[in-house]
Amino acid sequence: MLEEIRIGVYVCHCGSNIADKVDCPAVAAYASQLPHVVVARDYQYMCSDPGQELIRQDIKELKLNRVVVASCSPRMHEPTFRKVCESAGLNGYLYEMANIREHCSWVTEDPQQATEKAKALVRAAVARVVHHEPLFERWAPVNPNILVVGGGIAGIEAALKVAAAGNKVWLVEKSPSIGGNMARLDKTFPTLDCSACILTPKMVSVAQDENITLLTYAEVEQVEGYVGNFRVTIRKKARSVDLNKCTGCGRCQEKCPVEVPSEFEAGLAMRKAIYTPFPQAVPNKPAIDREHCRHFTRTKGKCRVCFNVCQVGAIDYDQEDELVTYECGAIIVATGYGLFDPSVGPQWGYGRYDDVITAIQFERLVNASGPTKGKVVCKDGRVPERIAILHCIGSRDENYHPYCSRICCMASLKLAHLAREKTGAEVYNFYIDLRAFGKGYEEFYNRILEEGVNFIRGKGAEVTQKDGRLVVRGEDTLLGRYREVPVDLVILNTALEPQPDATKVAQIFGIQRSADGFFLESHPKLEPLKTATDGVFIAGCCQGPKDIPDSVAQGAGAAAEALSLATAGKVKISPVVASIDPDLCSGCRMCLPLCPYGAISFNEEKKVAEVNETLCKGCGTCAASCGSGALNVRHFTRNQILTQIEEVLAV
Amino acid sequence: MSTSTLELLPEEGLEPGFAAQVASYPGGEKIRRCIQCGTCSGSCQMSADMDYTPRRILAMVRAGMKKEVLSSQAIWYCAACYYCTARCPMGIKLTEVMFALKSLALKEGYVSLKQHSPAFYKSFYEVVERYGRMHEASLIIGLALKTNPLDFVGLAPFGLNMFRKGKIEILPHGVKNRQEIKALVQQVQRLEVR
Repeated sequence: MLEEIRIGVYVCHCGSNIADKVDCPAVAAYASQLPHVVVARDYQYMCSDPGQELIRQDIKELKLNRVVVASCSPRMHEPTFRKVCESAGLNGYLYEMANIREHCSWVTEDPQQATEKAKALVRAAVARVVHHEPLFERWAPVNPNILVVGGGIAGIEAALKVAAAGNKVWLVEKSPSIGGNMARLDKTFPTLDCSACILTPKMVSVAQDENITLLTYAEVEQVEGYVGNFRVTIRKKARSVDLNKCTGCGRCQEKCPVEVPSEFEAGLAMRKAIYTPFPQAVPNKPAIDREHCRHFTRTKGKCRVCFNVCQVGAIDYDQEDELVTYECGAIIVATGYGLFDPSVGPQWGYGRYDDVITAIQFERLVNASGPTKGKVVCKDGRVPERIAILHCIGSRDENYHPYCSRICCMASLKLAHLAREKTGAEVYNFYIDLRAFGKGYEEFYNRILEEGVNFIRGKGAEVTQKDGRLVVRGEDTLLGRYREVPVDLVILNTALEPQPDATKVAQIFGIQRSADGFFLESHPKLEPLKTATDGVFIAGCCQGPKDIPDSVAQGAGAAAEALSLATAGKVKISPVVASIDPDLCSGCRMCLPLCPYGAISFNEEKKVAEVNETLCKGCGTCAASCGSGALNVRHFTRNQILTQIEEVLAV
Repeated sequence: MSTSTLELLPEEGLEPGFAAQVASYPGGEKIRRCIQCGTCSGSCQMSADMDYTPRRILAMVRAGMKKEVLSSQAIWYCAACYYCTARCPMGIKLTEVMFALKSLALKEGYVSLKQHSPAFYKSFYEVVERYGRMHEASLIIGLALKTNPLDFVGLAPFGLNMFRKGKIEILPHGVKNRQEIKALVQQVQRLEVR
């Protein structure tokens, strides 16, 4: 390099976040003596307007051609300072950030050690930035179509919002109908709206919207491409029913001889092998569950009952899975949650005693279209006189799920209300803490208190039987007394957990997961809907337990994220990608199978590997594998990294 | 125990360091995480007979009510069934905490070795130290000698019956290498001196 290197170093106090541990003026003074450093300053908040202006002026007046800011993690403010450099006419990649907050002041007890470490980090950054090269961002067009995965309330809301903006959207749902978990609920807290009554109109809107293509009984198999330009492969599972011919008359379901426990009714009722999950299903047309259908199993083709009764010839036993591809610019994943199975904890008696049921089962029991037509009864038909509702089953428990499932407190209050309304029973809620956090929730809690529900502050520790009656054992911790409460029906309010196939789904869409298994957002506060993969957004309970208002808000929010991408029409592609020096490449092809994005191909003519820069994400896997040193990731070249390491270790 | 009136808990009677002391025992590490849910009390087979429920014992430990905790019956009523430990949602090893409290109560003179429960534990310990395994006859004789032998006279016919049925033996069967067991026990004792 012929030009003279002129570096400016800026040490941020971050209020007291850094300055409490690190002697910032001393670090700046130290930096000013490092090679090529023309100016070194410390300042209260480098990210503030005056802080940014400081850098801008220095670049112009002192003719800086490299900038180092020692402050926080690059996650938030690297883009900020890059922009500052660019606004002063300096390429943003001639900038380097030393993290002296997360990596230093926040994790170091001793101020002297913290200061020494900060000096080392700054020294390394200064040495590294010398080797930086100007890089240029590129733009790629954005496909305005959008994919929504999951047809629960979050996915429905997202699809409707996208469609309302005039963009085409495909909504993919793995079960035969959209509606998700909300469709199974009886009432919703705190307003006690009938769940189906507020959900079904939205489901119908989805079916009628011209911009929405609804694919039920379908799953996404593969996602290729990158933000703005995804290519998605979707498997339409063989439904064995021709949706164009079927009128949804229901005769096939009446006549089908095979009965299977209904998923929708949480096992409290049976469904047929050919079935629509529930009366308001969208589409209101059945699918054949081939795993249980006699035609496909026992009778090996002999049973043709549904085929014979269908007057429009919609039954098609020969239908096969179909793979379709969809090109879109953004993806919204709203795949929802699973429910904790309480039979793993024998203390709660689930699976052992007939009258121990889960909250979702009670929702079906109390629902007018449920298995008992809304009558709340025990297994033997008695109307329960005493009912216990146990909160936090599988939640807030290190043996199962350490997190709080958020909705159970309010749902339990609602169930207590419904139970009293339907049966007049004495209701006992065993709770640890009551979290009535939402709008109108505290008022709802007050209402339930006034209705005379009994609250016992103590976790229901054990459900057992005494003289033929169920007994809930627990401590009334407010009284400091041990209690055995006899009841006729026990409702376990079970934890919300990640979907059983969350691992697979996360892999397909390139989403990371938090320790609890739910999908991980980019930033817990400021980017709750984004993921590590640009252009892939998450909404609803796949990210963590949420109530309906929050899920709806996230669905709409994710639609806004996707639409802002689509509306911009173009997307910035990072120049931090792999590059191959064809003179050094030995053609060993080691890197080809390692690339997770299929961005490397082999040029048979020249016998060297080549990188497709649009597909490359700059992860560096290839560079680490290259035996001949031909592969480098720009902005993370061997030279840059090794210089940085050498300097940070230099005494 | 009075639950009907709200008595002032005198601050000068509290020992702020008590929780830390209990936490320093093996198994006591997580007592600060207790959310007072009462799973322990609800699972405990003995809580109906205790003066304080297990959950309350933990609350008292954290509040520094050393005197009340170490003189309570509850800590001696614990039958070490480990239900509380298995079910505790915060992973607190309450059974181990109960052992720690027993040990502290003895060490700090809140109970005397003449009382049945402590004497039983002590006798059990001595038998195992001596023979490397249990010997019921020695256990009960040790217990009788430590407390009041007359209390045990009534048990003689019962013991005789058990002997006839081969349930207890007169002479102990020690393990091989008793010296090693003894050395082991002594090493633990040295480690436990704090």
